[in-house]
Amino acid sequence: MCGIAGILLKNGDSGIDTGPALIDMLDGCQHRGPDSTGFALYESGEEGQLKLRFHVGSDNEAGGAIASLKQVFDEHGARIIEEERIAGSYRVVVRFRGDLQKFSYAVEHAAKVVSIGESLEIVKDVGGAHDVDDTYDVHLFRGSHGLGHVRLATESDVKPEASHPFWATGFADVAIVHNGQITNYWKMRRRLERRGFAFATDNDSELIAVYLADKMNQGIPLKDSLASSIDDMDGTFSFLVSTRDEIGYAKDRLAAKPMIMFENDDLIAIASEEVSLNRLFPGRALDTREPPPGSYRTWSRSI
Amino acid sequence: MVTIDLKDLSTREANEGIREAAARGDTVEVLNPDARHHIGVGVIHAVDIHVRGSAGYFCAGLTDTPRFHIERNAGWGLADNMYRGSVVVGGNAGAIAGVAIRGAEVVIRGNMGSRAGQVMKKGTLLCCGNANFMAGYMMYGGRMIILGESGERLGEDMTGGEIFLGGDLVSLGSDAMVTDIAEDEIDDIRAFLDRYEVPFRGSFRKIVNAGKKLRYGTPERQVRSIPYFNFSGDSDYWNHKVQEDVYIKSQIGRYRVRGYGGARELPHLADLAFARDIVPGAVGEDPVSRVRMHTLIGGKNGAKPLDLTMPVLIAPMSYGALSRSAKQAVAIASGMAGIAENTGEGGMSDAQRDAAGQLIFQMLGGRLGWNIHDMNRADGLEIYISQGAKPGFGGQLMAKKVTKELAEIRGIPAGIDLRSPSRHPDILGADDLVIKVEELREATGYRLPVSVKLGAGRIHDDIKIAVKDGFDFVELDGMQGSTGAGGAEVMEYVGIPTISAICEAERALASIGRRQDIEIVLMGGLRDGVDAVKAMCLGADAVALGTAAIIAGGCIACMQCHVGQCVTGIATQDPDHEKRYKPEIEAQHIYTFLESVRWQIAAITCGLGYDDVRGPCRDDLVALTPEAAEITGLPLCPERRNAGLPEIDAAMERALR
Repeated sequence: MCGIAGILLKNGDSGIDTGPALIDMLDGCQHRGPDSTGFALYESGEEGQLKLRFHVGSDNEAGGAIASLKQVFDEHGARIIEEERIAGSYRVVVRFRGDLQKFSYAVEHAAKVVSIGESLEIVKDVGGAHDVDDTYDVHLFRGSHGLGHVRLATESDVKPEASHPFWATGFADVAIVHNGQITNYWKMRRRLERRGFAFATDNDSELIAVYLADKMNQGIPLKDSLASSIDDMDGTFSFLVSTRDEIGYAKDRLAAKPMIMFENDDLIAIASEEVSLNRLFPGRALDTREPPPGSYRTWSRSI
Repeated sequence: MVTIDLKDLSTREANEGIREAAARGDTVEVLNPDARHHIGVGVIHAVDIHVRGSAGYFCAGLTDTPRFHIERNAGWGLADNMYRGSVVVGGNAGAIAGVAIRGAEVVIRGNMGSRAGQVMKKGTLLCCGNANFMAGYMMYGGRMIILGESGERLGEDMTGGEIFLGGDLVSLGSDAMVTDIAEDEIDDIRAFLDRYEVPFRGSFRKIVNAGKKLRYGTPERQVRSIPYFNFSGDSDYWNHKVQEDVYIKSQIGRYRVRGYGGARELPHLADLAFARDIVPGAVGEDPVSRVRMHTLIGGKNGAKPLDLTMPVLIAPMSYGALSRSAKQAVAIASGMAGIAENTGEGGMSDAQRDAAGQLIFQMLGGRLGWNIHDMNRADGLEIYISQGAKPGFGGQLMAKKVTKELAEIRGIPAGIDLRSPSRHPDILGADDLVIKVEELREATGYRLPVSVKLGAGRIHDDIKIAVKDGFDFVELDGMQGSTGAGGAEVMEYVGIPTISAICEAERALASIGRRQDIEIVLMGGLRDGVDAVKAMCLGADAVALGTAAIIAGGCIACMQCHVGQCVTGIATQDPDHEKRYKPEIEAQHIYTFLESVRWQIAAITCGLGYDDVRGPCRDDLVALTPEAAEITGLPLCPERRNAGLPEIDAAMERALR
């Protein structure tokens, strides 16, 4: 029950920055989800360095969580380069060169992981786009691409950790925002769990992220992973996925969830509603396209 | 020409400006629309409205006679429920374009999204580009012209109307077929295309309903009705009703359809009792004058609330399930009692509007009888999601009851077994719902309370959505609620009991700290003032009575409402049967019953030591059975089973003397 948005800048000439653009786009569709707002932001990082974000809660609770995290870092040879606490979250950059999946499952036991990646950082919290920006300074992000999500909590609670975007637990730099409901969630999840994957939440969007990351890990391109996701997932969905260098979308065959996109020489922007796209170009009638049912596509940033 | 610049205005201000200008007959120009939602909803004057850019959801929705010109694209639900008038879209339109139109002409120069023309009834929807998935889904009438590709499953479950396809046919939907096209039909299409300056010289294929699903295969044999008490309660396992069910299913090979609610014993308000005896003398003379019963419902968000002389409403029941005369009697009685009546599914009649002091207008997925003019003369608007008797299912109206007159009001073909859609074309989730609620508010200038009718299923989640989507109140319906026709097994086994519904709702709202933001009207098998007070003790702000009011007005509870040959003239559309019903006389009976409800509510409130109906609370109740205690969390006190309400009975006897 939500609204989604994504943007990829093809070059630096658009006059548009990802952070402010996503804030505008999400503010435009905040009516679809007033409970919480989140961003998946990509800024190129340093080789061999990981950016990690956690929900650690407040004061005492946070202190304990951070202490356990540091212990895990030590055990896995992750050296802290910078760290900071923002509201109930903890951001840390570490130098790490081990098995990422093992490392991420280990930190997952110490605190609630929001994201891990060389370039990905997920910021999400209760409140609207501007509330989250006020706390986390999303508008300062200048990266090449990103996703955003506004959420109306229906079945699960209004908590930062239940907000989107979801990180593909165990896989660096993969994030997802999803509008809809995967009805064969448990079947798909058991299938992945049997192969050793762990899930941090019961949210169906995390499943899509892990599903895609697993495919890509097997060397299957994002585009083909999206194609098979349409066959494998039951239910209603319009989702956006991002990796270090790409964004893509997939839409179910029932076309029950909205999605609309705008592309020009400078950028590709996708959102639940055109009103979000129009926020980027006020006063202009855009030449937009609605993706057909059962379709998918990807775009790469120029590297 | 009046210019409205959305750059400087809220949508609400803009729409007020558009409507005012339209009322004066001025042409309107909307600048900087920037794909904002609800542009121009609720306009009922024949003026030109130019949208200089792209429009968002529901542009031109809930209108009659205006002519919209949208320069570029339109979002979901273009021209929703538009009666007369026209919309021309220069670019593409999103999903469900032309949803539920009833005479409008909608022209889309580009492509259109999925499920275009869903439940449309009359008028023309033209798409110059490609259509998409399930165009013409569940359409009841009118004409759709597609010049490009059809998309998958064209005409899926269409009931009536015609689709003319100029491009490739990707695939046909269920119960749709290609048929021959007449010369004059092609001439008509050409004339329409010329009028909108659309150059197209190709040929057409015509798609219509194939007629395989409009009626149940084998009709259900009519049987002598078995009285309710012979098969409910402590009856034998293989009782007459069970035998009858098995026998009839052996003939028809499907589920049975019948009227009324479930007959299975379920935890109910009767399994609760008041926690203490009412002290003799506490009720006294004329409790009604000593208890504050005046109740306002629906004013939480600034709308004009329903103003009720007691916390009671009439539950939604449709003209269709019930005869016009029966609806009229209920409306008259509600007016006499100073409470609110509800149209149910089948539209609003003048007689009903005039008789009812306050009238809630209900919107269902089929949009049968739904229109802006009746919205404007309603006192409340209600979005039906489901009902307690059959959560998750649409209404059923057997062919016998789908008369020409009724079909006309609903905008559907006469003589079909009408199975109303179980879901709304434009509400596929809480996120769409919030935009829909806003559309209703925008179209009526935020004057009216907007409520949601919820059949109790996953109430814990649903009630949270209701409050988050900004509804003013919820009509919460437990599984003991009745219906004019429903699948028998669904009525018996789907849903949760009325007391579970209210308790789950209270817990869910408390868990997010939002109880004060919405009002709850509880219904579902409530029989009298005693049930009403118990419901309010559990948290309800008011209650609604349906079946009880119908019985008061002469119903004999034979449960054959679906057949259409109701001997009392209540659940029928047959004039010979209906003429037996005397609305004025039955209205008096219903009114008298409602006054007994008023008296009981007052007497019990008084007897429990309060002078306001909002006084009685959970502390005043106990549970009589382990099940009821588990559901409600009330203390289990089976010893109160025989306590009864002797003082109330005695006082009532005195009052009647």
